[in-house]
Formats: sequence, C-alpha cells, structure tokens
Amino acid sequence: MTEKIYTITKKNLFDLFGRLSGTHRVIVPYEKGENFHFADFDPKKEDSIELGGIRQSQPLKSFINPPREGMLSVHNEGSKPVIIAGVKGCDLSSLMLQDFVFLQGDYEDPFYSKGRSGTMLIGNDCTYAKETCFCIAMDGAPYPKKYFDMNLSRMDDYFVVEAETDKGNSLISSFRMFFAKASRADIDKRQYNRDRVSAQIKDFINKRGTKNTSQIKDAVMKNYNLTALWQDFASTCVECGACNLACPTCHCFLLFDERSKENFKKRYRVWDACLYRTFARVAGGANPRKHLYERLRNRFEKKFDFFPKALNYFACTGCGRCIDACPGNIDLREVLKGLVDGKWNKPPND
Amino acid sequence: MNNPYTYTEAEIVDIAEETANIKTFRLRPKSPIAFKAGQFMDVTIPGIGEAPFTPSSNHNVKDVLDFTIMSAGRVTKLLHQMKKGDTVGLRGPYGLGYPLEKFKSKEIFIVGGGVGLAPLRALLYALFNEVDDYKKIILKYGARTPKDIVYKTEIDSWRKKAKHIDIEITTDVGDDIWKGHVGIVTTILKDLDVNMEEAVSIVCGPPIMMKFVTFKLLDLGFRDSNIHLSMEKNMSCGIGKCGHCRIGPYYACKDGPVFTYDKIKDLPNIWD
Repeated sequence: MTEKIYTITKKNLFDLFGRLSGTHRVIVPYEKGENFHFADFDPKKEDSIELGGIRQSQPLKSFINPPREGMLSVHNEGSKPVIIAGVKGCDLSSLMLQDFVFLQGDYEDPFYSKGRSGTMLIGNDCTYAKETCFCIAMDGAPYPKKYFDMNLSRMDDYFVVEAETDKGNSLISSFRMFFAKASRADIDKRQYNRDRVSAQIKDFINKRGTKNTSQIKDAVMKNYNLTALWQDFASTCVECGACNLACPTCHCFLLFDERSKENFKKRYRVWDACLYRTFARVAGGANPRKHLYERLRNRFEKKFDFFPKALNYFACTGCGRCIDACPGNIDLREVLKGLVDGKWNKPPND
Repeated sequence: MNNPYTYTEAEIVDIAEETANIKTFRLRPKSPIAFKAGQFMDVTIPGIGEAPFTPSSNHNVKDVLDFTIMSAGRVTKLLHQMKKGDTVGLRGPYGLGYPLEKFKSKEIFIVGGGVGLAPLRALLYALFNEVDDYKKIILKYGARTPKDIVYKTEIDSWRKKAKHIDIEITTDVGDDIWKGHVGIVTTILKDLDVNMEEAVSIVCGPPIMMKFVTFKLLDLGFRDSNIHLSMEKNMSCGIGKCGHCRIGPYYACKDGPVFTYDKIKDLPNIWD
C-alpha cells in the first residue's frame, strides 16, 4: 500500500514549485497572524508559506469560478494551467456540489469546466483545528478524502506525499528526483496526526453540541414555519452576504452587462448572495422572500433540504468561514442546534 | 466550446404598440430559432442587460419571433425606447414548453390576464396548427380596462379559426365604448360547457390573478394535475445554475416555467 506514497523535503517542495512556476500559475497558502490566505507562489516569501494549519480565508471556488468573470467568450489560449497547493478537505468536498451544478444537467458550463480541468489540486492535511471547524459533523475530515490529484501531509520539516490521480502521479514521475519513498513510520505518523486533529474537532463538536448530518436531516423543513427561530437568528443580520461569498458550496451568480468606454459590450458573471433583498425579486416588484428571516431561512433550506434531496449531499463542509465572516454573530451551528433541539438564543449583539 | 451565456444577434423588424405600456417586438435572428410554445428566451440589449420572455408567436415560424413585452423594469423600459432596425440579442430557448401531447383530444381551457396573454398566444397558435386534434378551445381573458387588451386586432380572427373555439373577454372596469363583460376574470369562469374532470387548463397572468383563478378552477372541479401555471420568477442564467429562480425542489427555468398545480401547491410563497 505504500507504492504511491512518497516524502519530499520542504526545500525540495519549494524548488519544485519554483520549477513549476515557469509553466503554471502556482498558488500556495501564506500564514498571516492567525489566518491563512492563498496567493501566487513567490520564492521571496517562502518563510510565510504554510502547508499545514487550517483552511484558508478564500474558499476554493475563488480560483475555479472567480467572483467576477467575463462571459462572452471562453479564452482558450494564453492562460497558464493552475496548480493550487494546500487545499483542505473541507474545500475539496465542496467540489461534489460545484461539479454537480456546473458540469451536470443539460448544459455544461464551459467556464467552470475549463477552470476545473485546467487546475491541479494539491490537497493538504490540517495540522490543527479552530473552534469553528466542524467538518466531521458534516461527514468530512481534516484531511482530503476525495477530489485531490496529490496530497501533502506536513511532518516536521518534510511532507508525506500521496498521489491520487494520473495528474498527481505524472507530476511525481516527472520530478522524481525531488521525492523519496515513504516508510511505514512516515505513514503511521501521518495517521497519528490525522487522528489527533480529528479528535480535536470531535472535542469542539461535543463541547458545543454541534449537530451532525443525521441529526439535521429534515430539520429545516420540519421547522419551516417556526418563524420565531428564523426571526431571532435574522435579528442581527445586516444582509452583507458574507456568509454566501465565503461559503465553498454557495454557487449562485448573476449575469450583468455593461459597456466599456470604447462602447465594447461586456457580460460578466458575479457571485450573488441569497441574503440580498433583490435576489429573487422580479421586475414587477413581486418578491417571494420579502422578509430578511425568509432569506436567512432560504439559505438553510438550500443547503440542508434542496441539496440533500437533489444530490444526497448536505451543502455545508463544516469549514466555519460563515461563522467567522458574519458581523452579526450568526452561527450556523447554533441555528442547526435550535432546529433540532427546539430551543435557541438570539445571536449576541456585540 | 459551446457557450450558453452568449447571445445571437436579432434585428427588430417590426414593433406593434399593443397598449400604453405593452409592445410586441418582431425579431429576426441571424439564424432561425426553433422553440416550443411555452419555452422562454432571454432578450439582451447588448451592453445593458437581459430579461426572460416567452415568445408570443407561432412556434412553426422560426425565422421571425414575436415578443410581447410590458415596460416594467430597467431592461424593458429601455427595450420600449428601441426602434425598428435596432439590434438586440437572443439566447435560448430554455425550459419546458406546454405539454401539447397531453392536451391532444381534450377540452382546452385557457385563462389569461393582462400581458399574460403573450405566452398564451404562442399556445393558441400551436393549438390552431392542429386545431382538429383538440375537442374544444376556450379562452377567457381579462384586462384592466378596454385600453389594456392586447392583440385587439387579432382576437376576432382567432374566433374564426374553427367552430369549436370560444373566446370571452372581460375588463375590470369598462368605458363608454366597451360593450363586453365588466368584472375581474374569475367572474366569467361560470356556466361552462366543459367536462372539468377531464379538461386541461392553462393559466397565465399576474400572480394575484393566477392565485384566484387556480382556486376557482379547483372549485369548479378541475384536477390540480391539469392546471398549468406560468410561474414568474427572477431568472438570470436560464439553465439551472445561477440559483435565482428556485421554487422548492425546482428551478423555474429548467423544470418550468410552466408547472402543474399539484407539483407546487405545497411549496411556500408560490404566489409572491
């Protein structure tokens, strides 16, 4: 079972990124304070690259389906293939939903398709968890299980590398001088780390009483008319849409047209947010979700009813970004708890 | 690569002023467009924006398509300022058309309100194409005032298409010249010579009108699975990806825009 598992030193990994930067756009995570963010690989900033830690501020969709993209022509030339290194299990699992929306059905989305096939995904184990991490409650794990081409698990000053796809295998094969075979001890150590971080997340889940997917099944629709709950949680919402934009599974977008100064006609796709008042409003003025609590409820309906029915998938990866992003202290875990237990508190207004 | 978000150019070859705020634009796309009555298309003002409309013309005609459009929002206001010879964009058709196969040999009971007669005109022309395949075709149409009736000059010719066509028009309020019925459209849904159990109904109009017509039809004995409703929702992509037009488990753009009432009756806020 160790055939496809290798090790690579930190120095060799960064040399590899440097080599790949000639032919690819290489995106890596940088550490800044308590947070991590993705940016282009820059050998001058190697010291702050962190291929461990927790999920980054930007959801993975930012790179496959950017926040704003021109839609009138699909550019096939000139753009380099992309390698994103450091993608966590929570973000990778969102691809099940994004692929379903953009690749399935009567129309394949050519922009997403190009972004997806032109991107190599290098997964990455979390080396610790944050209190807002609850991937395990959402059937995930703090290490990639699916949708990665290759994975990096950080040890002290080296990484255990696992190839999952042909893309991953051929990368290792092309640069085999950088890699060594992993030993049994390396693989055991990787497992030890995975168990350690998983235990930390389970501890957070237990302490808070965060609900899991089997507990929240049907909870939204059963409490659809429990208006007091929805109104209480919406009481501090400022309709900024941050929860939608930070979410790795939120996929909604808007097409809009504009004219450039030279009268050149453009059409863009921009991420949209179902918390915005205008999201479902029609030209005549009718709006199926006039009230803010209806729009907050809609977000939960889509994630915990629509997608479980359409795809057998709870559209939350437990990444906790929406909790961190919300200026109204609305905690998705507390909403789900309220739905299941029938009691809840208003979000703290501080 | 096939790009579903781009449009083909179409020339405005004719504009008919139906009412003070409704016009029918006849568009000639660069290449013919095949659609089925009830499907919709996005009409683009290049560089300005787009909005979804159901063509109002006969789906057997593919080189020119009619769109009957009320000035209601940003895009439609600007469309109303456009002139013959101007160019717009078209993408689609999207969604499912009216299930004409299901309508065969049945009594067809159509109820329209205001500009909602636009998609129903496409349906009527589709029915007229094979008029003898349908047992009876009844249209009940309501407009706010006599001046708000669309397709005024055509409706008489529809009456003459066949003997088993019956058309009645009402207006919410009358005027000095109007000799027809006065009252909202539900007031002419009575004394019907129709087998309600078997007949199919197709309704399109403002949400409040559709709501009360649906309740009236159910009272009359129409089956909920035979009541076909056009659900107006905010749509952007038209292909089930952008998320705007979701109604419960459906997207109006790809699973509709026409739904039978049994499919949506238990879903929240369907009339808003």
